[in-house]
Amino acid sequence: MDIWFIVSNTILLACIYGTLAIGISITWSSLGLLNLAYGFIFAFAGYGAWLFAQHVSTSGPAVLAAGILAGALGGVIICAVGFIPIHDKPNFTIRGLIATLAINLIGTQFLLWWFGPRSKSLPEIFGNWSLSLPGMVFTADKVGNVVTSVLILAIVLRWMQSSRRGLEIRAMMMNPHAASIVGIGVRRTSFYVMGITGGLAGLAAVLLSQTYYISPFGGLMPMIKGVSIALCGGLGSVRGAVIAAIVLGLNEALTGISIGGRYVLITQFVVIIVILLLRPRGIAGLLDKAREA
Amino acid sequence: MNISVSNHLPGAPARQPQREVLNVKGLSAGYGPVRVIHDLDLVVQCGERIGIVGLNGHGKSTLFYAIAGLTGWQRGSIKLNGREVGRTRSQGPGRYTHEIVRAGLALIPQGDEIFHGLTVEEHLDSGAYTAAAWRDRAARKLRILEIFPPLRKLMGVPVGRLSGGERRMVSIGRGLMTDASLFLVDEPSLGLAPKIGKSVINALMAVELGNAAMIIAEQNVALLEGRVDRVIGMHVGKLKGEASAALALNVYRKA
Repeated sequence: MDIWFIVSNTILLACIYGTLAIGISITWSSLGLLNLAYGFIFAFAGYGAWLFAQHVSTSGPAVLAAGILAGALGGVIICAVGFIPIHDKPNFTIRGLIATLAINLIGTQFLLWWFGPRSKSLPEIFGNWSLSLPGMVFTADKVGNVVTSVLILAIVLRWMQSSRRGLEIRAMMMNPHAASIVGIGVRRTSFYVMGITGGLAGLAAVLLSQTYYISPFGGLMPMIKGVSIALCGGLGSVRGAVIAAIVLGLNEALTGISIGGRYVLITQFVVIIVILLLRPRGIAGLLDKAREA
Repeated sequence: MNISVSNHLPGAPARQPQREVLNVKGLSAGYGPVRVIHDLDLVVQCGERIGIVGLNGHGKSTLFYAIAGLTGWQRGSIKLNGREVGRTRSQGPGRYTHEIVRAGLALIPQGDEIFHGLTVEEHLDSGAYTAAAWRDRAARKLRILEIFPPLRKLMGVPVGRLSGGERRMVSIGRGLMTDASLFLVDEPSLGLAPKIGKSVINALMAVELGNAAMIIAEQNVALLEGRVDRVIGMHVGKLKGEASAALALNVYRKA
């Protein structure tokens, strides 16, 4: 068995899925919204990057930036359409679930109608080089994917740690009721949250397009994996999501090499169910040393 | 009830021009089908420290939440610094709270409405919500540390690891970070050991109010006695006794 192949695939998958899972996790815990339109934002950002590459420029960083901006725009649209009108109504959790799911279905059908069923491919963002060391090969897309996602996640988390808006978002994640008492406006903060998590979805869309293609329904599988990783890591915990992404990335790489890629979802859910049976709060339950309020 | 008359009382030689910080008229509020507060009137002048006493479940916290717009529904007029912040609404608790906070309200809620993962310092920062308070938050944090010296050593510790008394200090300190004109303190001594509860009350009494006003809801009347300007009783959603300043004065004269 090729150890290096497993390790590199684990890291690659963990980075991309971790990006998605962190976005879902932050949205859930700060806004109380399980954003099922994430798959649509993913595809929307992919098509945004594709349009940019077709009409403006094919330079790698520019396409990446276009994808992230398109994702952020998608997030803000979802926020304005699906969150703001219903966020203070009774039963918001269920309503939000249904609203975002509806947006997802309508949005992907719209993309299908507008762009057609043929998948699109993006230009190679990180060039086409590779670096050979004894026993291992670094290809451009793998190195680029890992470096970019780690870098952008680090910037986002750093911003959340050090800025005032980040403090507001973290406060809302921990106790939304107390946050409104302190004077944090839910509606304004929600636009920041949805913009940022949308941008993360856009990042993942562009990075994943280096391996797969962009298609109207291409966001579905990444969203399922993102939601399940966020659940497994303990919704609301960024560190839990990172660890869960590594565990499930490892699981996917191991499954792919041992019994075949088509069994990935089965083994993945087995792993998630076992973790949640042992630790109902997910991996975050192990990490969190502070008592709940 | 034995209440000493302090200089702040209206009618005594006024040291500052009297101005209404809070004027509540005909306020009703509740949650769903339950009506907790019934047509309540309350006037608070600037510089006043008021105690509200009453049993569990008689609407002290709901009154505070209604002023902050956090109840399930409410109707009636609430004027904060002459600005109307009350509205008739049937849903959307908390939707307008940030605007009321910006208009000068600091609510220090009952129990531990804290962010358990933030450190003490971040917690105090989160209380400095208005732009002016955010700019000189460093000086304000020093002031809070003077009021609550035990917090000095704990600035980098997540609040979830603190003891009940320390959490209460953080919660109160967070409320004192803004220059609000009305402080609502809900049950500051609840759930604390008597000694610690007493020191928390002492700290609240030591806060310089200036032109602001403070309302303290408390079950333990003995802690407030003789140290606040007025004590108002609350019973099944209505204020009893000295709801208005003029009425209070009459009661003292007769006594």
